[in-house]
Amino acid sequence: MRANVYFFWFISAYAFLADVVYTIWNLFFAGTTNGGGGGRVEPIGTVCLLLTAVMALFIGFYVNRSRLGQGGVLPEDRPDASIDDGDPELGFFSPYSWWPILLAASAALGFLGFVIGIWVAFIGGAIAIVALVGWVYEYYRGFFAR
Amino acid sequence: MLQTTSAPAVNRPNSVAVGTIVWLGSEVMFFAGLFAIYFTLKTSLPAVWASSVEHLNVPYALTNTIVLVLSSFTCQFGVFAAERLQPQSTGWKPSEWGMVRWFFVTYAMGAVFVTGQVFEYANLVSEGIAINSSAYGSAFYLTTGFHALHVTGGLIAFLLTIGRAFAVRTFGHREATTAIVVSYYWHFVDVVWIALFVVIYVLK
Repeated sequence: MRANVYFFWFISAYAFLADVVYTIWNLFFAGTTNGGGGGRVEPIGTVCLLLTAVMALFIGFYVNRSRLGQGGVLPEDRPDASIDDGDPELGFFSPYSWWPILLAASAALGFLGFVIGIWVAFIGGAIAIVALVGWVYEYYRGFFAR
Repeated sequence: MLQTTSAPAVNRPNSVAVGTIVWLGSEVMFFAGLFAIYFTLKTSLPAVWASSVEHLNVPYALTNTIVLVLSSFTCQFGVFAAERLQPQSTGWKPSEWGMVRWFFVTYAMGAVFVTGQVFEYANLVSEGIAINSSAYGSAFYLTTGFHALHVTGGLIAFLLTIGRAFAVRTFGHREATTAIVVSYYWHFVDVVWIALFVVIYVLK
């Protein structure tokens, strides 16, 4: 986990450095020809590189918080761990589900509605509500109710 | 020679929570694109900006912002209740409130925010700033509109989370995880709005 955190921090530092270089380059070195910024800040690259740094820092910060909260080293990070040490409950994973297909179909109807008439989008909206509720509560009803 | 039989038990990071954070990282980049649109149009057309920002009602938007920021706090109190595995309130004191009540309060505040946005839009359109009237209108409605859509999605997520609390007989860690990741999303949307507020209403 420590290595994962360092990866994200490295990506963040790199994007931030690239942002500074990009902004300085636009301010002082780029000409107005060939699409250069011509002595002013070019906002797209400056904003997006800065937020790339923020994105990596954000994920790195969270992974680091998880690492500090786990109270030890994960088995996969220990050279002396056995395979079955890394076999706890990893979480709940649905074996299969039809609901995402229905939800995607409703999204398709929604976008189709923009093309051939907005009334189609309303049908898509109704199906989207059914699909979303069905998906969210798939393991809360019927055989899986608890 | 005997080997140690097992590594000590550790709290494995919750895969739902980590996945949510990575997805929110991609959302950062989505809003990065919107901020880039806004700043590009602003630097290209300073005259359009100067004449358009006069129509903004900053005290009104500030009030709306405060409501949204406070809703993040009520949301977090709901998460604290969910971490106590307490969906329902046990008394009238806020310290005894359950997750469901806190999330209903949060829902109401988020709904106030979206309603406020709708009235603000109606006001701006009546003053001649529409999504197709100028580059400023396009940038303003795209950035704040996509944010309002995110808030609306968060409201739906709160309702689904509350529904899960009612769907189970015993509120467990899986339901608490739902509450926690929805709160991550809500805090994210809140922080994005603070950035949008500073860019659109303070820096103008």
